[in-house]
Amino acid sequence: MSGGVVAPVRRPLIEGHKTYHQITEDLCSPTEKAPSKAWIIAFIISVSVLAFGLFCIFWTIWMGIGTWGSNRTIGWAYDITNFVWWIGIGHAGTLISAILLLFRQRWRTGVNRAAEAMTIFAVICAALFPAIHVGRIWVVFYFFPYPNTRGSIWPNFNSPLLWDVFAISTYFSVSLLFWYTGLVPDFASIRNRASGLRKKIYNSLSFGWTGSAKHWQRWESLSLVLAGLSTPLVLSVHTIVSFDFATSVIPGWHTTIFPPYFVAGAIFSGFAMVQTLMVMTRKILKLQEYITIEHIESMNKVILVTGTIVGVAYLTELFIAWYSGYVYEQFAFFNRATGIYWWSYFGMMTCNVISPQIFWVKKLRRSVFVTFFMSIFVNIGMWFERFVIIATTLARDYLPSSWSYYRPTWVEIGIFIGTIGLFFTFYMIFTRVAPVVAIAEIKHILKVGGDQYIGENATHKNQHDTHSLSSTNHH
Amino acid sequence: MRKIDQQVWISQEDLTNDPALINQLDSERSDINISSLLEDDQTVGVQANRRDFLKLLGFGFTAATLASCETPIKKAIPYTVATDEIIPGIANYYASTFVNGGDVCPVLVKTREGRPIKIEGNSLSSMTQGGTSSRAQASVLSLYDISRLKNPGTISGDSITEMSWADLDATLGSKLNTGSRIRIVSSTIMSPSAKKTLREFTTQFPNTKHLMYDPISSAALLQATQNCFGIKAIPDYKFDQAETIVSFNADFLGTWISPVEYAAQFVKGRKVNPQNPKMNRLFQVESQMSLTGSNADHRILVKPSEQGSSIIALYNLIASKTGASSISGGEVNEKAKAMLSKASDMLIANKGKSLVVCGNNNLDQQVIVYGINQLLGNIGTTVNFNRVSYQRQGNETEINGLISEMSSGQVDVLIIWNANPCYDLPMANAFKDAMSKVSTRISLNYIMDETTTNCSHSAPVHHYLESWGDVEAKTGIFSLIQPTINPIFNTRQAEHSILTWCKSQKLDTKAEQPYYEYLKSSWKEMFPSLSWDETLHNGVYEVPSGNALNSNFNGNPASSASKINSTSNSGLELSFTESVNIGGGQYANNPWLQEIPDPISRCSWGNHVGIPITFDGDRRFIALENIETDGTIVNLVINGQNTGISSIRQFGQMQGTLSAALGYGRIQGGVCGTGIGVNLYPYLKTDENGFTQYYIDGIDLKNAQEGIEKSFACVQHHHTIGVTAIEKSSGSKINADEAALVDDFFKPIIKGYQGSLTDRSILRTSNLSNLKENLEHNKEKREEAQNLNSKSLYPGFDYNYNSGHHWGLHIDMNSCIGCSSCAVACMSENNVPVVGKHEVARHHEMTWLRIDRYYYGDVENPSVAYQPMMCQHCNSAPCENVCPVNATNHSSDGLNQMAYNRCVGTRYCANNCPYKVRRFNWYDYTESDLFPWNSRMMASEKDKPYYAENLVRMVLNPDVTVRSRGVIEKCSFCIQRIQEGKLNAKKENRQLHANEVKSACQTACPTGAITFGDMNNPESDLSKKLNNPLNYIVLEEIGVKSVVNYSMRVTNKDESIES
Repeated sequence: MSGGVVAPVRRPLIEGHKTYHQITEDLCSPTEKAPSKAWIIAFIISVSVLAFGLFCIFWTIWMGIGTWGSNRTIGWAYDITNFVWWIGIGHAGTLISAILLLFRQRWRTGVNRAAEAMTIFAVICAALFPAIHVGRIWVVFYFFPYPNTRGSIWPNFNSPLLWDVFAISTYFSVSLLFWYTGLVPDFASIRNRASGLRKKIYNSLSFGWTGSAKHWQRWESLSLVLAGLSTPLVLSVHTIVSFDFATSVIPGWHTTIFPPYFVAGAIFSGFAMVQTLMVMTRKILKLQEYITIEHIESMNKVILVTGTIVGVAYLTELFIAWYSGYVYEQFAFFNRATGIYWWSYFGMMTCNVISPQIFWVKKLRRSVFVTFFMSIFVNIGMWFERFVIIATTLARDYLPSSWSYYRPTWVEIGIFIGTIGLFFTFYMIFTRVAPVVAIAEIKHILKVGGDQYIGENATHKNQHDTHSLSSTNHH
Repeated sequence: MRKIDQQVWISQEDLTNDPALINQLDSERSDINISSLLEDDQTVGVQANRRDFLKLLGFGFTAATLASCETPIKKAIPYTVATDEIIPGIANYYASTFVNGGDVCPVLVKTREGRPIKIEGNSLSSMTQGGTSSRAQASVLSLYDISRLKNPGTISGDSITEMSWADLDATLGSKLNTGSRIRIVSSTIMSPSAKKTLREFTTQFPNTKHLMYDPISSAALLQATQNCFGIKAIPDYKFDQAETIVSFNADFLGTWISPVEYAAQFVKGRKVNPQNPKMNRLFQVESQMSLTGSNADHRILVKPSEQGSSIIALYNLIASKTGASSISGGEVNEKAKAMLSKASDMLIANKGKSLVVCGNNNLDQQVIVYGINQLLGNIGTTVNFNRVSYQRQGNETEINGLISEMSSGQVDVLIIWNANPCYDLPMANAFKDAMSKVSTRISLNYIMDETTTNCSHSAPVHHYLESWGDVEAKTGIFSLIQPTINPIFNTRQAEHSILTWCKSQKLDTKAEQPYYEYLKSSWKEMFPSLSWDETLHNGVYEVPSGNALNSNFNGNPASSASKINSTSNSGLELSFTESVNIGGGQYANNPWLQEIPDPISRCSWGNHVGIPITFDGDRRFIALENIETDGTIVNLVINGQNTGISSIRQFGQMQGTLSAALGYGRIQGGVCGTGIGVNLYPYLKTDENGFTQYYIDGIDLKNAQEGIEKSFACVQHHHTIGVTAIEKSSGSKINADEAALVDDFFKPIIKGYQGSLTDRSILRTSNLSNLKENLEHNKEKREEAQNLNSKSLYPGFDYNYNSGHHWGLHIDMNSCIGCSSCAVACMSENNVPVVGKHEVARHHEMTWLRIDRYYYGDVENPSVAYQPMMCQHCNSAPCENVCPVNATNHSSDGLNQMAYNRCVGTRYCANNCPYKVRRFNWYDYTESDLFPWNSRMMASEKDKPYYAENLVRMVLNPDVTVRSRGVIEKCSFCIQRIQEGKLNAKKENRQLHANEVKSACQTACPTGAITFGDMNNPESDLSKKLNNPLNYIVLEEIGVKSVVNYSMRVTNKDESIES
């Protein structure tokens, strides 16, 4: 090689040879232009689905939980399945914001804003279920430890459901703060380009951000503190959600493996949902140069790893059930795989463990098309996982006399798709009012990859200056 | 003249009492006519002063305002003068007797503030010994039945034109005259006084004939007794004295004649003393799984048409072994023959201490059965005539005669008294048609039923809780009926009506309670020296055993044998059964009885055809027509006609036979009974003697291809714990149900694994022969579990509540026959809502106490275990620690309690309950909520849910909260009873007596299977039962520390028979 051996130049994290200004232009413009036809159609669909979901919630509260398909044996089914599913989905946002930050994964800046938004919306969807699944929603405030005139009666601090209340509310507050903190300088960027009322609104949204060094310093400190707070939350929230089951006495629930297994599953499903959203967002908002194939590939790698962890957990459960010599446990797992709900177990295994293995092939993990479908698959698989754990287990517990079968009613299905409508409604509003990629943060990484990158291990000709490794201080 | 003497005057004239002024003042007061003033403008101006105007205005305003206000309706009316007996909050108990046709049960009626709310057994009765049936328990709800007829009147179609009793009596008085040809049709009447009224009526109207029939008839038995012994009554069977019992299709524990009495007797021989194990042995010869069959040690399967032959076979077996001459016939299937032979050996070995009974309504069979008992020397011992029973007196053979009389116009007046011949007879339609030829048709029925609709006059009767009366269920065994509430509606008891119509001199119509006086005087005649008050207080009076009736056997089994038809070979045979709860349909309008599932099929709200089931030798149970799911609608092809009915794959149903319950499919059964199930009465046939036969042959069954019945209300989807069968591939015996526990998809490749059900510590069973090994096994398992449980995170915690009371329960599964009276008692005591068919189908039933039924043993002829299951009040309760709001917690005396007010309804506790006994209020079943708009109708109510009717709500126990929508509820161990006991003890400043508090299920049980008590009191009955080595705790090894002890189900099989 005539030019001599040089260190390979990293692929740039942002493609298209952007300038800083262009980044601002690209990312602010969706909030400034009239929405596209595709957006309008999608929005109408989302809102309609949301409206139906709200009607179903109203119907549940009006008539009673009897409108659902749960029964004396299967007290939880669709409701808690959806709750755990949505909570799990939320995890990717926190992981990207906090853990990947700690691991200095710079590519995260391309997707973190959207992923955090997803977290917020998913947690809202999730939190809906514990509230509406109770028989008497009008006394749901009994959950909270507030001083009262009843004695005072406090909630039962032994109950995992109470831990859920704390875990989820903490998680939601920290995630919301973290997300909003990140948005402050970006709102200021939009404000600077806006005029009139819009300027005023964005000015107040950005708390009058001026971009002074002091602001940046405080902002970075706050971000760091919030990242530090978020990090344990990634692990704790789903751990506590898993305690809902792990601390019970029901075979198939009473399992010590649940916390790590749930967390891995949550990250798995969260990344799948990020993929679903990103593939659509980058296409619709034409952000392919910010959310690149590299991002997609990285996230597919996470999906592959967490999917495999989940697979190992499934197999461990089966092994432990056999090894325990405990008939109830053995039957619970035997029944999951071969009993009346075998199809949900089959769906779970196929979608979560087997299908992600195709990501060992580089070509497939870099394929947008494959990624999109795989992300949907994983979401379905993870939904089935929760359904298997909750409904299948309850349907065949200790006393055969009480065995029962569950099928959802239109009300429950309506509420579930209603939450999907809620999620997309929020997300689509989000894409219209805030930059879906964190402008301030992504500008950090514009110069991380070489702007001289011409290909892997390619030789540079007429190259005199060394690679300009940018410092991370730019913005 | 007015004299003014006041200190104030208005003028000089006033002061001086000037006559002119006084006149003027007087006329001012008297002559003012407001209307004339208003007419004449001038006078208004002069004389109507401002004050009058204001008065009028004020009056007008007030009147208008008052008219716009709704006067609040006060539902609670305080006593103006307090009664002696009623103290608010304290229950009064009155002895009475539940009677409906031939069903009888001496009871104590619990009343609160003048309302009967609960039925308890009367322990002074030697017959029932305090036991009750589900029917007796539920009878209190019928008092508050919204479908009751409320006034007398004339009927046309479904509508009733109400009139007063005087008018009705006058109307009928003109129709009833000495020449009238009057026919009275009733169910069995056991009341001596009622019979006396009928005698008076007949004296007045000599052309009267009284016919009785029972919907499920024992007429052939009565006739056989008449033929063999000259007595027209049911003998006094002594199941407690029988070591070996053979029952030919007599469901004596469930429905046959006097089940409460027989159950109590039977169970005496089932109590196992582990040191000296000894039990009676019951052989049940039947095709369908009856309640008695499920409690039998051996079921001998014969087709319904084979019953006659099998009776002859047993006769001949015994005759040959005792040297008597044999009779002709007796060809039965090989298996049955072998088993009957063994049975005959045991019967002979227990001569005089054995018993053969037969429930078939066939004269010749009954005669031969008497013959068998005669050969065995049982007549006078276990078949006793000292106190014969009058609980079945009906003879349906007379009905055909009545029908022809009526259709040829030979009847002028027909009186229907507590009978429903337009529904519960095979010839119901013919009866209905013939009835229309009778000009005066009087109904003395309770609701607008199928027969009352076809009557011309309705004289609605009291409920027994509003009536006076007496019962002689067996010779010399009397009990009294006394009212416990004033008649709710404008009804009159039947005896009163009859006496009124025959213008009885003995009825003092001026008396406040005429029939009471009549009853009292009849009793004075019968027992002049008896203290009426004391008898009434006790409710029962038993004449010391008198002279034995002549009981020489005069039957001729040989001639009877010649009349018995040989076994049918045509098609499938369908046996018609009586439902334990609904009876022959008389109880169809009682939602408690509809809601409590049938003990065998575990289905509620409907009847179903039981189809036999077998194992394919691999991994599937197969049934006729490849019906794979319970609830599948099938067509019964009877005489080429299809009848659609849902099916149940019934374990223990003999191959080639089917079974289905009568008493359903009523078209006018009241709000709860109408349209539930399928009416099968029209398919009944009569034999050559005119007796109704409760089976038909030559039928076929086809899958209707309509799928599963909508709202198929079965509460137990999985039926077995370890039914065994031979596996084809290996030739060895396997647990077929476990092999079948895979979904169809995996059927070809995977077999359910062995031990997945039988290794669960739910059901412990044994045979008497291997009791020792099983006790050893039980001990081992329990020690293992207790060892596991001793590993606690909180080793110092007192899980056993060693100080004070610690309430517990013991259930003797060997005494439990599955009759369901405890379950109904629980509903009644604890205000458990009824949810209706659709909700039960969705597994939303609310029962606090259920009786799990498991089959085990041979797949085609399994044994059955009943396991009453209620909250186990775990000392380390999994439900308590998961409740986020502390709504369920533990009391200091070991109760797991619910605070409904605190419950948010997460259902986490229900999920985490290993016994699945917690119940959630899915809807507002009782309209106890703030929201009246979302209530659910239970059955065919029109305006309001059944439980929202104020009338029905009178049955509620005021000591128990009515739960609202969205909260969890469960068995409380009758905490209100515990509390009452504690308060009584406190008031009397003493300790609680050892057995003072009894739970509702305990007092209802006819066999004493349930014992509630204080585990910390060594004197309590419970404590004495706790050390029995038969005891075990369900799911002991999971460490929840349940306080409900079950004792093993022990059968007394002769193993040489089964192999």
